[in-house]
Amino acid sequence: MPLSWALIASLLLAVAGYLIGRNRALGAAGPDVRMLHSRPTYHGVSVALTTFGPAAVIVVLALLLRMTGQIDPTTGGVAGLAVLGGAILGLGWGISRIGADFQARSAVERMVMSVLIICSLIAIATTVGIVLSLIFETGSFFQKYSWHEFFFGLEWTPRFDGNSRLGMLPLLWGTLYISFIALVVAVPIGLFAAIYLSEYASPRIRSFAKPMVELLAGIPTIVYGLFALITVGPMLRDWIAQPLGLGNSASSVLTAGLVMGIMLIPFVSSLSDDIINAVPQSLRDAALGLGSTPSETVRQVVLPAALPGIVGAVLLAASRAIGETMIVVLGAGAAATMSLNPLEAMTTITVKIVSQLTGDNDFSSPETLVAFALGLTLFVITLCLNIVALIIVRKYREQYE
Amino acid sequence: MYDTTRTESAVSQQDIKISARNVQVYYGEKHAIKDVNVEILDKTVTAFIGPSGCGKSTFLRCINRMNDTIDIARIEGEIRIDGDDIYDRRVDPVQLRAKVGMVFQKPNPFPKSIFDNVAYGPRIHGLARNKAELDEIVEKSLRGAALWSEVKDRLHEPGTGLSGGQQQRLCIARAVATAPEVLLMDEPCSALDPIATGQVEELIDQLREQFSVVIVTHSMQQAARVSQKTAFFHLGNLVEYGDTDDIFTKPSDSRTEAYISGRIG
Amino acid sequence: MTDMSNHASRISLFEVDPRTRRRNAAEKRFRAYGATAICIAVIALVLLVGTILRDGSGAFRQTYLSMPVALSAEKLDPKGNRDPAEMSKVLTLAYGRVLDDALDAAVAQMDTQIEGLSEKDMTGLVSKEASAQLRDRVLADPELVGQTVDVNVLVNGRIDGYFKGRVSKESAERDSNTSPQQLMLADALAEDGVLVTRFNREFITNPDASDQRPEAAGVGIAILGSLYMMLVVLFLSVPIGVAASIYLEEFAPKNRLTDIIEVNISNLAAVPSIVFGILGLAVFINFAGLPQSAPIVGGLVLTLMTLPTIIISTRAALKAVPPSIRDAALGVGASKMQSVFHHVLPLAMPGIMTGTILGLAQALGETAPLLLIGMVAFVREFPAAPPEGLFDPASALPVQVYNWTQRSDPAFVERASGAIIILLIFLLCMNLLAIFLRRKFERRW
Repeated sequence: MPLSWALIASLLLAVAGYLIGRNRALGAAGPDVRMLHSRPTYHGVSVALTTFGPAAVIVVLALLLRMTGQIDPTTGGVAGLAVLGGAILGLGWGISRIGADFQARSAVERMVMSVLIICSLIAIATTVGIVLSLIFETGSFFQKYSWHEFFFGLEWTPRFDGNSRLGMLPLLWGTLYISFIALVVAVPIGLFAAIYLSEYASPRIRSFAKPMVELLAGIPTIVYGLFALITVGPMLRDWIAQPLGLGNSASSVLTAGLVMGIMLIPFVSSLSDDIINAVPQSLRDAALGLGSTPSETVRQVVLPAALPGIVGAVLLAASRAIGETMIVVLGAGAAATMSLNPLEAMTTITVKIVSQLTGDNDFSSPETLVAFALGLTLFVITLCLNIVALIIVRKYREQYE
Repeated sequence: MYDTTRTESAVSQQDIKISARNVQVYYGEKHAIKDVNVEILDKTVTAFIGPSGCGKSTFLRCINRMNDTIDIARIEGEIRIDGDDIYDRRVDPVQLRAKVGMVFQKPNPFPKSIFDNVAYGPRIHGLARNKAELDEIVEKSLRGAALWSEVKDRLHEPGTGLSGGQQQRLCIARAVATAPEVLLMDEPCSALDPIATGQVEELIDQLREQFSVVIVTHSMQQAARVSQKTAFFHLGNLVEYGDTDDIFTKPSDSRTEAYISGRIG
Repeated sequence: MTDMSNHASRISLFEVDPRTRRRNAAEKRFRAYGATAICIAVIALVLLVGTILRDGSGAFRQTYLSMPVALSAEKLDPKGNRDPAEMSKVLTLAYGRVLDDALDAAVAQMDTQIEGLSEKDMTGLVSKEASAQLRDRVLADPELVGQTVDVNVLVNGRIDGYFKGRVSKESAERDSNTSPQQLMLADALAEDGVLVTRFNREFITNPDASDQRPEAAGVGIAILGSLYMMLVVLFLSVPIGVAASIYLEEFAPKNRLTDIIEVNISNLAAVPSIVFGILGLAVFINFAGLPQSAPIVGGLVLTLMTLPTIIISTRAALKAVPPSIRDAALGVGASKMQSVFHHVLPLAMPGIMTGTILGLAQALGETAPLLLIGMVAFVREFPAAPPEGLFDPASALPVQVYNWTQRSDPAFVERASGAIIILLIFLLCMNLLAIFLRRKFERRW
């Protein structure tokens, strides 16, 4: 890779530039170093940056052009020479600027600042990348498949020989049903756990229970998925579904919902904990001073005051549940059915994104492209939930600050 | 053991409402209250004064067991209200706090309507049999706190929307509504401007007709204006306790004299 | 007393009135709900970790056939010149026959005879992987040919499962891959010390194996792939994340643009991870043409995913440094940038490191986006050393787990759980390191 060699060469040039710059500055200062506007080190760094900066920019440009197919990868030699040329020109210009009056520190700080700004723009670039890639591919999906059928179709039967029915509603139903069960499990348990830890638990219990709950949060979702697949699923099937005659499948809405609920407990509890602790102690004192019991204080004063924050936390948890993938892939099943029976296998948006995009993909068939439309739907739903939740939580925080 | 007859035969025409014997309070290792003995009279305003950190607020919070809510606090000795030791195992702090109300340093109305703020105590303690009675209690308490005329048209607006002085009087009304026998006030005017302070002080004087009022204050002028009895705390000790006039004109302890003349504080 | 008092308050404090008793009962119930919630969470954790440990501990023990094998020269080196190039033309099948002969000899030496033992039971006892193992060993050292050497080779997954209690003689009746006779033979061989169960080092170092040979499957490539991705994440997300945080926290003016960036970052932190996978597929693979299954792509996707986490925790660490430190530096004539890089950043370092480690731990366990960029592929070749190795196909620990759950042989469940144990050990170490850093350098201002 000549490009990488050119990059290494320009790094060496930058080091040389640093040494030259520092020496030149010392020379320009004459006998008294204090004559310089900036410390000699800054002169060195300024030369090094002017050397390496252009080289790095040319490398990035070359890579971009190569990726988009504008230039042939075989022209690496030319690109490498351009990089080296940029570095040498930068070196010359950097050295020529040195003098007793040159404000090297300000120059270096300006350059560092632009690096900092570029780094913080990467967050925006990521979002733009997500949105563009989703919209672009979704667009080509809707050219091949009617958007009306996608959003309102009640049937999901992808076929590789064409004639697929790609209606999203069964997937949306499965997603919402599983998320609902997960929230029914996670919200009361997480909320009560947070209340117990912040209002009741003795320091000893807290020092034991809190890390335990936090440990649950640190476990990757694939572990929960495996737990659903080999433990919870068969247990629900053998103990509940089969005796009651409600189903024969180990993977079911209830399996995925239950396990996802467990996964969300620490999420809900740590968010609620923050929110409950933000309620000022003076309100608790007021209620206790009037003779409320601690539970009356929590129910009638703390929770109503914390309600907006808790609603925000529940919305965030809902967005987590809707976007969760591994637990549903391993626990919910693959059948796109719409039913009320929680012991039946159903499927979700995320499961279908995975199944349509793994394996050999033909990126011109609607069966593959539909995954991008599903991804865009998922992105929009979770984004809306997050924005609303963040606004609510932020308003709530400001109220008590 | 003490009994009620002993309290009845005590000093002057006025009854002793609260009597503390050998009270010690520890915050972890710190000995915050050292051996305090005091008898507080009914229908009297008693002021606790002293430099900050002297333990006056700590002692006040012992009287309705608010220190129970602090994990590391430990209390020894006995405090009797009407002869009953409030630290007895049989006493439920919830019931005690209904009988001994408290008003805090910063006005802390609940984020609910004015009406709901005042009605909170009667509701949890079940003091009203129906809505009409509850309305009556709320009105009476607000009148008692000299706030009725200002808020009677906006009872269902949030209590947090009132001015500082109004909020503090709302908190007093809220405490009064539970029908306490003792009212504890922890520097109730420290967060208020002079006009609001004047209103609250006037109110305290009226409350004396119904309750035994104990007020912690860092302002000696306030103690002199509102109280009949004054207790001076210093470094966790109760240094001197007596009629307010005597304390301010002829203190018997040199530390009290140093404090009221402004040499320590 | 006064008209304000009421009957309830005149009762002695020693008597608890009925209403208070009711309220205290409600209090107790409420408290019990809270304790129950905590218990449920703790039980769930214990159950989760317990079942994984129960199912996965088997992966670290493996049954081996340990016997002398005569490496017949005419079968393995027909030309007789010990030239590795010539010998490599000998197929694995020949080594299988050598092993079968050795097993026959070992069985012949035994006292017990087993009724109805078929030829298939005999050959099927040895893992299909065993002949390949032997071949590799001989090719590495051609001088072994003609000698009789002691070898340790894997046995079939069913036999291994029998010693771990996964397979029984009853289940073997219904199983086409094994038979009760084969299990009896295994028992007899175990008694003779030919079959031994010991620690399974190969599980940690071996690459994945195909569907029919769970006994040979290991997480070697997966660990290496995860490590490569973590390197990419570390080298990209830390500098970028810290630089972005410094700008946003210390320099950014309050304007529309920085507002948008802020909202953006907190939203990105909550975007489902699978969406990042779609981004990786669309941008890095389809648009930029990077190879599928490569750690570089996985690392880039995980970098974008962890960046918001790192930025949020770094900003919190920077914010915790009191303004007086900045004022002090500015007061002696340092520039704003000098005050940040000389004073604020070093003081915030422990917090930044803790946040980074936790972000890395999150990235290490992430599965969904990696599925979409082809990390599920079956990889047998170890990737080269970085940087070239970053472009070679590899797997990743959590993806390997997913991969194994999709296989039909129940022996892979054990492997999947074993891989999770390794993953959890890594995560535990990272979390302990983070806690240690926080404890050691925590500073209260």
